[in-house]
Amino acid sequence: MEKWLALIDGFEYNLLIFFGTIIAAVPLGLVITFCTMSKFKPLSYISKLFVWIIRGTPLMLQLFVFLYGPGLLLGIPMKSRLTAAFIAFIINYAAYFSEIYRGGIESIPKGQYEAGQVLGLTKRQVFSKVVLFQVIKRIVPPMGNEIITLVKDTSLVRIIGVAEIIMSAERFSKAGFIWPLFSTGLFFLAMCGLLTLLFGHIEKKLNYYHN
Amino acid sequence: MKLKKLLALAAASVIALSVAGCGQTTDDDLAYIKDNGKMIIGYTVIKPLNYTDDRGDLTGFETEFAEAVCEKLGVDAKFVEINWDSKESELNAKSIDCIWNGMTITDERKENMSISTPYLENRQVMVVKKENAEMLAENIEGATVIAEAGSAGEELMNSDETFAKSECTPVPSQATALMDVAAGTSDVAIIDYVMAGGSVGMGTDYEDLIIIDKDFESEEYGIAFRKGSNVTEEVNKIITELVNDGTLNKIAGKYGLTELLIAK
Repeated sequence: MEKWLALIDGFEYNLLIFFGTIIAAVPLGLVITFCTMSKFKPLSYISKLFVWIIRGTPLMLQLFVFLYGPGLLLGIPMKSRLTAAFIAFIINYAAYFSEIYRGGIESIPKGQYEAGQVLGLTKRQVFSKVVLFQVIKRIVPPMGNEIITLVKDTSLVRIIGVAEIIMSAERFSKAGFIWPLFSTGLFFLAMCGLLTLLFGHIEKKLNYYHN
Repeated sequence: MKLKKLLALAAASVIALSVAGCGQTTDDDLAYIKDNGKMIIGYTVIKPLNYTDDRGDLTGFETEFAEAVCEKLGVDAKFVEINWDSKESELNAKSIDCIWNGMTITDERKENMSISTPYLENRQVMVVKKENAEMLAENIEGATVIAEAGSAGEELMNSDETFAKSECTPVPSQATALMDVAAGTSDVAIIDYVMAGGSVGMGTDYEDLIIIDKDFESEEYGIAFRKGSNVTEEVNKIITELVNDGTLNKIAGKYGLTELLIAK
């Protein structure tokens, strides 16, 4: 029983990083999308470079960079492991989200923008009243996919010494108990199951044209 | 189709489990190794025990020590890098024949494996930044302390009263512990004296780190063979020979470990 409690304690870290990342990376991703799609070329290039670097290097390495980088390069030690974990996860996932958003926005036919203009709507109005809701509908499946990946990625933080569930379980395997390590799978399965149900529900709700 | 896949998966897991489980004692381990013509030695990279030199060759105290023993045994030494956490499974699954890598002798390990005579002494030391050394040597109350999870250092960190009033965190390896202190994330790393000597100071990337030796209780290194193996006895004899003819002392001197040598 105490082992289960220790696992639950560990899983709290996974949940904390999961929700923290969702809350911050979902809006940050949108900001990056706007930068990438900006007509102002330097801004667009810089944000494309940024997305390339973040998506092109392992999250595990980024965790090390955000924990040790400030101290080794700038002389300002990062004192909190959890903060470093949050920064790495938020930036990493924002980069992925931004590409999903971009795909969604670009999938809307140009004709709709033109029709909006003909009707006398400003660019901003076309985006918020015509395009946005269609984008949301289209990005739900890929976002669901990415968010389920995030649940499992949270276990990476153990490499910088945040005692998430798998690190807690490994302590038991060193003491000769193997089952806690494999039981951690149940926690991830349960969480992903809930998210699958949630996203299925959202997709159904948004499917208003086909009912 | 699905059922077939499930069956295949079940069969695969049964095989995997039975391979992992066949840790039975060997009747004649020595003959097994001699028949193979080589002793497979499991190690992890620890300077100055097992590490690659500038030319990319594996060297170090343990490497040369093992090669000297294997030569007398009449077999080749074959080194295989392992995950330290799974050393016991590797040994039992016969993917390695011994663990020869600065392994601290503990009662638990003595129960599960056959261990040679102790040959090297080790103790835990603190590694800190130079600029903090004076302050931390006096008092580490409130300081952040780290050690490798599952190591002798972690045990010390959690039990010794020196660290009772410090903030203690386990990290995945001794190497991350050093980087943690270098980056200023933590104040003190507790690591093996043997490793600390070769990893910090002049000529390394950790020139601004130094060792504080508080004379914590010493530990002893031994070589681990399969439980019940008759190789242990043979290797113990060879170790005595190597001590008597001065070979081991010479190897230890080469890596600055002479004062820690305890093999007789």
